[in-house]
Amino acid sequence: MINASLRGRVRLLATTTAVVLTLLLAAGAGCDSQREPDLPSVQEKLEQTHIFGQSKLRIGVATYEPLMGVLENNKLVGFDIDIARYIAASLGYEGESAIQFVHLATEDRIPALQSGQVDIVVSSFSITEERQKLVSFAGPYFVTTQEVMVPVALKSKIRTIEDLRNPNYRVCVGGGSTTEAELEKHGIKTLVVKNVRDCVDGMRNRKNLYDAVSSDETILAGFRSMYPTEFEIVDLPFGTSEQLGVGVPISDPALRDLIAYFLHQSYLAGRSGKTSPWLTAYHQNLGPWLDGEREQPPPLNVPELVDFDDKAPV
Amino acid sequence: MTLPGRESTTFRAGDRVPDLTERRSRASQSFWTLVVGVPAIFSVLRLGVEAGGELQTTLLLVANVNPVNLAAALVTTAARLASAGLVAIFAIGAVLAASSTAAPTSWIGRHPPLFARWRVIAPNWLVAAGFAVALATWPILYLPLLLPALAAAFQFSPDRLDERRVPRLLVLGGLLAGYAYLMLPTLWDAWQQRETFAVLVIAAPPVLALLVPGPIPPIVARPLAMTVQLAVLAMLCWASLPVITTPVLPLTVTTVRADSDAGADGTEDIRGHVITVDDVSTVILEERGGVRYVPADQVEAQVLCPTEGELPRYRLRVRDFHVEDSLLEGMGRRVRPVTRVDAACRATSSAAR
Repeated sequence: MINASLRGRVRLLATTTAVVLTLLLAAGAGCDSQREPDLPSVQEKLEQTHIFGQSKLRIGVATYEPLMGVLENNKLVGFDIDIARYIAASLGYEGESAIQFVHLATEDRIPALQSGQVDIVVSSFSITEERQKLVSFAGPYFVTTQEVMVPVALKSKIRTIEDLRNPNYRVCVGGGSTTEAELEKHGIKTLVVKNVRDCVDGMRNRKNLYDAVSSDETILAGFRSMYPTEFEIVDLPFGTSEQLGVGVPISDPALRDLIAYFLHQSYLAGRSGKTSPWLTAYHQNLGPWLDGEREQPPPLNVPELVDFDDKAPV
Repeated sequence: MTLPGRESTTFRAGDRVPDLTERRSRASQSFWTLVVGVPAIFSVLRLGVEAGGELQTTLLLVANVNPVNLAAALVTTAARLASAGLVAIFAIGAVLAASSTAAPTSWIGRHPPLFARWRVIAPNWLVAAGFAVALATWPILYLPLLLPALAAAFQFSPDRLDERRVPRLLVLGGLLAGYAYLMLPTLWDAWQQRETFAVLVIAAPPVLALLVPGPIPPIVARPLAMTVQLAVLAMLCWASLPVITTPVLPLTVTTVRADSDAGADGTEDIRGHVITVDDVSTVILEERGGVRYVPADQVEAQVLCPTEGELPRYRLRVRDFHVEDSLLEGMGRRVRPVTRVDAACRATSSAAR
């Protein structure tokens, strides 16, 4: 009897506690449903950038790098251009009328960002510590390695780094590039010219001026796409890589964050096996000219943001 | 309706309480009056709010918004709130009714609270319908709360699963295992993301559902009845405000070819709700207020935009359904998975204007 009474009391207490806790939980759900997101939204970030409200997005690009950014029949094409168009559309600037491409020489990329001549730069812009003191980078969106390009006639003769050390072969590099330092590290003597195009011209027009040219694989692939029957790329294990990023004014961290976020969205789409803007850009431009299947590198320092399409199935 | 263990009525002979059939008939009339009247009043209020309080704009909306569309839009946005109200009333009412039955001589036994009386006269199909609508329209994160609510509303204690102890425990174990299979990955994600409320709302309800059926002591029932009934009614009023202010018409950005003295690119983006389109013009209720009549031949493009209220707060999914989607919305996303925000919506938020 006492036992039954005790059990009844415990049961009453348990029911009461459960009822009260359920009510508290339900009230919590009511309040929780009215809560604002903790993370900033893409739209909020966009409103913090200097481009918000602008009718056009000004993008600094190269117009002389085959495969990356080149003017063909009055139309800009290339991997960098496609990436730039994807970023612009994500930022709310879709279509040619909303984008203003600004041609920039290599050495003008940083000054153009600093002076406000352009809003972003997408032009084979390598991320380096020195440059990061002057501008911000979102990315990388491509990791490129150093390669050597030789005339088809020398294809079977120059196959290793050891072959390049042979003083009979004249190796040409663009001045002030990371390539020059890398070849020196491997004990390879180089002939330094102003830019890679001079090396290629030297190999084509003035016979026997240079026997090989070394640069980023994307740049060499571009020249090879122009003269596919004349040159061959030699894959050598130099061991260094360069990360290409989107240049953003250092004063606009919100814009950098947004671009990193959109590059990451493309990266996630590619990882999940779907097509992504990056993969489309790659296959339309670089894919046929580079060896092996490439994947988009994961962008660094990607902020956590919420967007309207976050609820869509992954 | 007859609650378990509640075969005899708590209202004693000689009381002023009318008989159950008459009360049910009266309640049915009130119910259908509410079902028809409340949405109608809400619809008119919504149009007034949508028009920005302007009489002429309200009249323009009244003239152009189809009543069927208006009712459908109201059902879409109010179903969640209405079902939450019904579930709360029936669950709390059943607990109070069970308490009044268990203690017929106490105050609560002699004066059953309002929600308890509503629960007693409500037909079971209405209670079930309330739960079904809640199941389809509540955010998935809050669906576990339906377990204790269901157990309370039907006073469904584990004893009713099977009289024998072992089969009962086996059935309970199976049910809990199924729930764990469904929810454990989400629970683990919530734990890792330090989402305390999400952890509680996923983990606690199955346990509460086992304990919640049954009477509570009269000493607790009386204050609980008074506070909870008031709180539920107050919360329903408070939560109905967003229903009134939710737009009736979809948000769009219309790109219009501007006059020659306008922007350099010669176009203008108008963010707002399209009231009507005919051969002559497109009538747009601008988001910031005011009505624009845009000549039909100047409209270059039109895109649908999401609103800030649709931004998710959680990064949790239950079997690939986002926890803030309802089951209906989640299934909808499976049919049309890509919901890319159009570029025009990004560039033209209300702050840009």
